[in-house]
Amino acid sequence: MPRVPEGPPRRQFLKQGLAIGLVVAAGQSLRPAQLLSASAGPDPEVPNEQVAKILKDLFGGRPIRRGQVLLDMPVVAEDGRVVPVIIEAPDLPMTADNYVKAVHLIVDHNPDPYLAAFDVTPAMGKLSLQFRIKMKRTTWVRAIAETSTGEVWADYARVNVSLNGCG
Amino acid sequence: MNRTIGDARIRVPSRIQQGEIIPVSAIVQHPMDTGFFRSADGQSIPAYFIKDVTVTYAGRQVAHFMWTSGISRDPIVTFTLVADREGPLSMRWVDNKGAAFEQTAQIAFSTT
Repeated sequence: MPRVPEGPPRRQFLKQGLAIGLVVAAGQSLRPAQLLSASAGPDPEVPNEQVAKILKDLFGGRPIRRGQVLLDMPVVAEDGRVVPVIIEAPDLPMTADNYVKAVHLIVDHNPDPYLAAFDVTPAMGKLSLQFRIKMKRTTWVRAIAETSTGEVWADYARVNVSLNGCG
Repeated sequence: MNRTIGDARIRVPSRIQQGEIIPVSAIVQHPMDTGFFRSADGQSIPAYFIKDVTVTYAGRQVAHFMWTSGISRDPIVTFTLVADREGPLSMRWVDNKGAAFEQTAQIAFSTT
């Protein structure tokens, strides 16, 4: 909760409380809806040459579908040196014969866009990864999961970077 | 502060039931230099970063992470694990100069 400034008018205080309540409620109701919809937001920009090559090398001609994967990142990253990333796929199975085998993180406008890859196994029970990355400037970020059956699922986030974290 | 490159910690829940999916958090001290920065006297700082992380649980490799210098300084990572047997959970971080750092946590089940 934000700190209440000294002696706020009661009405303003109540309004703030109401606004926060609405945001929280909206957040809770949005999440299941996002899971169901195939496309959770605006499409990312068309991959630049470097990113297109990374995608081709990784997935060949396989279609990259949006869905199943959830990429959570801040809309605004004040400090590009430390930007939190959460990648989850609550509905993708993690069983011996059908599981997520790898997740790739690509940051379009970073000096080295293919930032990280995570090989995972059913022993992890579910796909849930958290870590922190550096970002040079405002760009799209792509989290792409590959399943053992050959499916490719992605989610995208556009992150506004205030302070260059890459030098 | 006494911080040494390669110091690492792994955190697992203090109470674990058999079969539970548990969160595992790990941190390793490392500068993760990109090679793009210069020091105050104008010398370029060479790239120096963790590039490879392996996670082994009770003798089996369960995850393998491939990183670049785009991972933030003092890398943290949180992932999940099916705690289906008791045993050591080991992590090994290897940097681009070939140094390896290791840490182990014990997975043990609550008796009550």
